[in-house]
Amino acid sequence: MDHRKRVIELSINDEPYVLAVEPQQTLLEVLRDSLSLTGTKEGCGTGECGSCTVLLDGKPVLSCLMLAVECVNLDITTIEGVGSIERMAPIQEALLEKGGVQCGFCTPGMVLATTAMLNRNPKPSEGEIKRSLEGHLCRCTGYNKVIEAVEATIEKISDTHE
Amino acid sequence: MAELDFVGKSILRKDGPDKVTGRASYTGDIKLPRMLVGRILRSPHPHAKILNIDISQALKLKGVKAVITSEDTLGIKAGFVETPRYPADQYPLAKDRVRYVGEEILAVAATDAYVAEEALSLIRVDYDPLPAVFDPDEAMKEGAPEIHPTHPKVKEPLSNIAGKTQSEWGDVELGFSESDYVREDRFESHLRTHGYLETQITVASYEPGNKLNLWTSSMGPFLKRAKLARLLDLPVSSVRVRKAYVGGAFGGKVDLYSHEFCAALLSMKTGRPVKIEASREEVFTAYRHGQPLIMEVKTGVKKDGTLLAQQIRVINNCGGYRGSGVVVIFLGWGYTMVPYRMANFKYEGYAVYTNNPVRGPQRGHGAPQMRFAVESQLDIIAEELGIDPIEIRLKNARESGEQLPNGDNVHNCGLKECIQSAAEHTQLKEKYGTGRTTASPNGHIRNGIGIGVSSYMSGSLIYPNSSSVSVKMNDDGTATLLTGALDVGQGAETILCQIIAEELKIPFEEIQVIAADTETTPVDIGSWISGNAYVTGNAARMAGTEVRKKLLDLAAEEMEANVKDLVMENKSVWVAGSPDKKISYRKLIGASIQKRRGDPIIGEGHWRTMRDEPFHPSLASTKGRWSENYAFDAQVAEVEVDTETGQVRLLRAVTAHDCGFPINPLLVEGQVDGQVSMALGHALMEEILMKDGHTLNPNWLEYRMPTIHETAKSEHINVITESYEVGRPYRTKEVGEGLVSALLGAIANAIYDATGVRLYSTPFSPEKILYGLGKIGRNQKVS
Ligand code: FES
Ligand code: FES
Repeated sequence: MDHRKRVIELSINDEPYVLAVEPQQTLLEVLRDSLSLTGTKEGCGTGECGSCTVLLDGKPVLSCLMLAVECVNLDITTIEGVGSIERMAPIQEALLEKGGVQCGFCTPGMVLATTAMLNRNPKPSEGEIKRSLEGHLCRCTGYNKVIEAVEATIEKISDTHE
Repeated sequence: MAELDFVGKSILRKDGPDKVTGRASYTGDIKLPRMLVGRILRSPHPHAKILNIDISQALKLKGVKAVITSEDTLGIKAGFVETPRYPADQYPLAKDRVRYVGEEILAVAATDAYVAEEALSLIRVDYDPLPAVFDPDEAMKEGAPEIHPTHPKVKEPLSNIAGKTQSEWGDVELGFSESDYVREDRFESHLRTHGYLETQITVASYEPGNKLNLWTSSMGPFLKRAKLARLLDLPVSSVRVRKAYVGGAFGGKVDLYSHEFCAALLSMKTGRPVKIEASREEVFTAYRHGQPLIMEVKTGVKKDGTLLAQQIRVINNCGGYRGSGVVVIFLGWGYTMVPYRMANFKYEGYAVYTNNPVRGPQRGHGAPQMRFAVESQLDIIAEELGIDPIEIRLKNARESGEQLPNGDNVHNCGLKECIQSAAEHTQLKEKYGTGRTTASPNGHIRNGIGIGVSSYMSGSLIYPNSSSVSVKMNDDGTATLLTGALDVGQGAETILCQIIAEELKIPFEEIQVIAADTETTPVDIGSWISGNAYVTGNAARMAGTEVRKKLLDLAAEEMEANVKDLVMENKSVWVAGSPDKKISYRKLIGASIQKRRGDPIIGEGHWRTMRDEPFHPSLASTKGRWSENYAFDAQVAEVEVDTETGQVRLLRAVTAHDCGFPINPLLVEGQVDGQVSMALGHALMEEILMKDGHTLNPNWLEYRMPTIHETAKSEHINVITESYEVGRPYRTKEVGEGLVSALLGAIANAIYDATGVRLYSTPFSPEKILYGLGKIGRNQKVS
């Protein structure tokens, strides 16, 4: 294996990072291990669970399947860039209020996938909601309360836009 | 009764903001200076002698810091059960012999994961494969390969018996002879797994001052500490197991695992922190799943549906070591004893060693399987007698105050109300039977409805048996709660804070929690025996009551008033009728400092279920008390069956449950929904496939758990049988395991209602349904 490092520049949550990575390092590894952006979770490492979802130029991707070197020149958004305790994004508040969070391990991935969906279409149908979240496993909630939370978010956004 | 401000309210979970923003730190998020990465080498054979292990090449690899084999251990065995009858039977690292694929042989610690993995590839282990056996019926036969000798106390010519449970009351033979109808069936359940999203992971950091620190994804730190200390021969006080957020557990993270031991020992050897994280594939292939049971059930009834006698034989395929296999065969007795009256009963359970991976508890720990068997057969009997499924259940259901055959009491029991309300809510009586008889409007789609019943204990006596909680007042009038409870997602910390908020009338947000640290927090029973709300909750309530009393005494002194005239609200106290002359907690604490020489205001609470019982009941004979607090539930499933493809959809699940009272209704709903989803997966989608001890589908593409497309409408009815009063013990009930337990039987009964196909084994696959409908041959596959 080629372990020689390359120096790359990444833009994460609107902040520039310059770092040396090995070519086989995934974006997930770099986020978590090199940059301590540990809000992005690893449930499988093989593209089956959705817990490692981040946004690349606004589109959800599985960071466990992306190489870090593929992500230069793209805008990366992780859960750390979505909202803070003081200023939560509407989907974060809704997940809390509706009980869409239990162990919380799937939550960052769900938040990012929903954020991307709502940016694309602020009024998605139930089918679209399900398609956007179909790659996200949640073992705790059974999904009903996650769907409720997304629906509540849609309502909240449309209220503030009107 | 006084109005409650916090208990009984859907207060948002305490850890929610951290979780939705990604700030919550799980074990895998912990990074320590100079931390090494550990990896484990596992057996590729289901049964083999280890002839030689050569680690020399691995040790030469740059970056490898240590390799440990069984020779580096103290040679102490571990077990889920460690009792005189069932002594520990598994070394943390295999010695001389392996008994399942995935058994741990050795571990390495290296500077990074790549080096650790390369090191594993440089290690040579020579094996001498032995004959292996995987099926419990085969394993019990004379002449089967001997995995371990049959338990010396089992007086039967059977091989590979890891343990046996026997229990009996009344006279079953007499009961059968007096019965109008006797029915015998054999049911089988399949291998399924927890599916926690966070894998198994541990960080160990040894401080040469003789303190071993451990962060590990678990269900409670105290059991882990006790077991680890024993295996390493360290004083328990030298081991500190600490909280990290847990990404789901569902029973799969109770016991001490080899990787936790290895991380600890590697850290002790290298003097550096070590992290070991199991890959998802390792979790699927080598870790402990639930227990596949064979259940033979013979039941005798009177014409009117009164249950007279039941004889049950359970066989558990428990894998290469006991794991919790000998517990499940005990629990199988309990899960049948509670819900229905039965005058004559005989129970036998066998745990059988096979060359499969070891099994552990999984949410419900045998209850879903047992209730599937019993509830399916009850419907068969009801139909035979021409009684409807509701009547037969109501006729035999336990009622408040009933004494159980083991001496337990069901106290306030809402089972009948659960059955009635679930049936009424779904119009079960009107719908039942119409699926089979009415021509379906949409051709090959048939609808069906079915019911199942379950009961689950809320806490029992398993180490560490009891919970303690401390509450200390802060100078600003807020409170800090110290609990050993570990929140695994169910909301343990949240409900404990609600209780303290209620007892002390301090806003929920102003209660801080320090949790699950063996060094700084008091002992806790752990989040696995369904006793958190009842046992730890009462400890918290008691600690709160003590602080409350101290505050009131101080206030009475300050205000020259009588304690019984005082009112507490929002961190202040006043004499009833004069709220304008209130005194804040902050001032009271100031007064304590001045007048009582600074005595701090601290409260302690302790709770143990069945205070006077010394132990858990005997796993062998079931003698002794099991629990003092039982939850009950009835679940109705409505399904749709495609008679052309054999596909079943769970459309709606209605759960009526006697949970005592919900401390937090939103969290209770979360438990219901999660269990409905899990039961759906187990009934219709999930199965670990094995061949010759190897796992064939070790990933989520082939082990299909419910996704957002596979959801059922989940409705709940809380049957309230208990209440909460400030300052008094309460008896609320569990909601985390019983509600996964009745639904499997309900779904089986609904499939029968839709199609007339009776299923005797889980999962309820399209093949079995099409075979039942006569559309395909036995064991034919549909694609
Ligand atoms: S960790 Fe990337 S999909 Fe599971
Ligand atoms: S909340 Fe635990 S996996 Fe979704």
